[in-house]
Amino acid sequence: MPTAEEIKQRIEAAIPGAHAEVEDYTGGGDHFRASVTAAAFAGRSRIEQHRLVYEVFGAEIGGPIHALSLQTAVPDQAEPISAASPQTPSR
Amino acid sequence: MSSTDSNPIRDAIAEAIDEHEVILFMKGTPEAPACGFSARTVATLQAVGTPFAAVDILPDPRIRQELSALSNWPTIPQLFVKGELVGGCDIVTEMYESGELAQVLGADEQAQEPLEPQPQPASQGLSIENRLN
Repeated sequence: MPTAEEIKQRIEAAIPGAHAEVEDYTGGGDHFRASVTAAAFAGRSRIEQHRLVYEVFGAEIGGPIHALSLQTAVPDQAEPISAASPQTPSR
Repeated sequence: MSSTDSNPIRDAIAEAIDEHEVILFMKGTPEAPACGFSARTVATLQAVGTPFAAVDILPDPRIRQELSALSNWPTIPQLFVKGELVGGCDIVTEMYESGELAQVLGADEQAQEPLEPQPQPASQGLSIENRLN
C-alpha cells in the first residue's frame, strides 16, 4: 500500500512543476487527501486537472488506493496563459 | 461518447446520461447512500434543491466498469449535467461552495423543464429513480 509521501512524490514527478500535499486521513493506508498546485493546471477545467492527477495512479484508484480526494489549484500568477476556461480556480 | 457495439450496459448508461438532465451515479440510493462520498454528493444536490436522477452502481460491478470507460473517470460518485461529466464529490462540493453548482443546475432560473417521471429502463441492473423534490 502506498504512503502519503509516495503519493506526493509520484504526483510531483509526473506533473511538471506540481506541488502536492498528501495526507492519509484514516491512517489505514488507503484513503488519501491530496492538495495539488501546478502551473500545468492553468487553463484546464477542474475535471481535467483532477484527471491529470488520477492518471498518475491509473488502475490503483479504487484498488490499493481506495480513495483519493483531490483539491487542485493553479499557483497564483499574474495572468492565465489563455482565457479559454472561465472557471480557472485561483487560490 | 456513442457506443453501439453490443454492450447493453454501456448503452443503457449512455442513454441514461442522455435522457436525464442531471444524473448522479452513486453507491447506494439517495435515501440510503452506501458510501460517504456518495452521501455527501447527494446531500449537496439536495441542498441546491433541483431535481436529479440517481443510479445505484452497486447491483452490478459492470456498471462501474462501463461508466468509468465511458467517462474516463475512475471514482464514484459521478455527476453528469446535460450529458457532460461535471465531477465527483470533491468537484461538486467545491462548486457548491462557490455558487457554481446552483448555476449549473439551473437553480437560479426556475424555467427548467420539469423532469417527467420516467419508467425504469428495462436494462440489466440499471435502475433509475427520479428524485423530484
